[in-house]
Amino acid sequence: MEYAPTYTEDELVQGLKARDQKVFSYLYDQYSPALYGVIVKVLNDNSSAGDVLQEVFLKIWRHLDKYDPEKGRLFTWMLNIARNTAIDILRSKSHKLEQKIQNIIDDVHAVNGPLAVHPSTDYIGFSRILEKLTKEQRTLIDLAYYKGCTQEEISRVLEIPLGTVKTRMRNAISQLRNIINK
Amino acid sequence: MDPQHFISSGIIELYMAGIATDEEVGELETAMAQYPAVAAQVEAYRRSMETYVTMQGIDPQPDIKASLFSQINNEPNLQEGVPVPDEDLQQPKVVSMQETKSPSWKWIAAAAAVLLVGSLILNYVFFNRYKEFREYKDKYQSLLVSQNSILSKSNLYKTRLEQMQESMEIIQDPKVLKVPMPGTKAFPEALATVFWNPSSQQVYLKVNKLPEPTADKQYQLWAIVDGKPVDMGVFEMGDTASLLQKMKVTGKAQMFAITLEKKGGALAPTMEQMYVAGKIPG
Repeated sequence: MEYAPTYTEDELVQGLKARDQKVFSYLYDQYSPALYGVIVKVLNDNSSAGDVLQEVFLKIWRHLDKYDPEKGRLFTWMLNIARNTAIDILRSKSHKLEQKIQNIIDDVHAVNGPLAVHPSTDYIGFSRILEKLTKEQRTLIDLAYYKGCTQEEISRVLEIPLGTVKTRMRNAISQLRNIINK
Repeated sequence: MDPQHFISSGIIELYMAGIATDEEVGELETAMAQYPAVAAQVEAYRRSMETYVTMQGIDPQPDIKASLFSQINNEPNLQEGVPVPDEDLQQPKVVSMQETKSPSWKWIAAAAAVLLVGSLILNYVFFNRYKEFREYKDKYQSLLVSQNSILSKSNLYKTRLEQMQESMEIIQDPKVLKVPMPGTKAFPEALATVFWNPSSQQVYLKVNKLPEPTADKQYQLWAIVDGKPVDMGVFEMGDTASLLQKMKVTGKAQMFAITLEKKGGALAPTMEQMYVAGKIPG
């Protein structure tokens, strides 16, 4: 990655809309770890995560024309595609919800999964974040963000009242923001 | 809700977690479009979420990239871009609700209002013109009528004037003798005048005062020539009587007289019905 040329967001968008494969290659190198991390986290399935990542980048390549820089950053757009695609696949499987989200509930503090972690992952930064979030706060964030759980689902899975879910979720997201923006 | 109150309401946090209700999402999107401060807060939250995600990134297996690029190069339709609608592609609908829907409604409403106002103005203008036109039409018709009546009156006056002129010429002719005929003993109020031109032998009559006869009777003028009455013709009363009336001709006469006879005149005068009589002067 150190040898790859760098692009500004505008150059990136222009190159991609012009179907420049060099730019697309750069995009892949730059963002595939983050998107892959999301897919793995959502699906908790090593065998299919690679295929889903490929599907996500194909969607990005196909639908570049639909990306509107005025509505948000490119990374936000790609992250939505990855997250929505993976959550759709997760939800289409005929398992019970509890099974689908087991990894979040069981192994919430595991930084290193069974897969190789991206070398550029900020272990120290991430550990610092985890230290300042309670187990429950991280579970709440991950259930909502990675599993697409509704308030009702979270309330049922964690066995806490609906109103409490709201309050604790606010605190968790707010806390996360304060830690990261420090 | 003012922006600061909105930021502290907790909706942004729920929105970031993806568990805000549709109603809350709608409120937030409206507020983001309205207040840059709210939009900035949402963006700050979004960046922190994205940082959180990026920190947990994992390197994918290297063969995925190769496989991806060979698929892009081997499927030509992929390079064109396939117009398949996909829910996954939807970007957060930040301001799209207001941007796409309200302007079109506003424009349609504005255009309709403008057209309505324009139509009302035109209605008013054309109705006024129509009213004016009707007034003018009425005036034109009444003018036409009055012009006709003036024209006919003027013709009448012209005729009357010509008749008067004719009468004047006759009266002023020095050859014409004026023979006044005062009323008889039986009709002392009656009066008529004969104008006689001995050289042309033409006799004219002017009725000064004679009572209107019944419908079956007519006045008849007589010339007395050498003691014998000679018929000078019957004459009209009414309007005609105000003018000089042209009677028959006679070369000789000593006096003139008028009797009332049966309609159409008589062969000999009825002496009892003699109204006026006058001798020729000299």
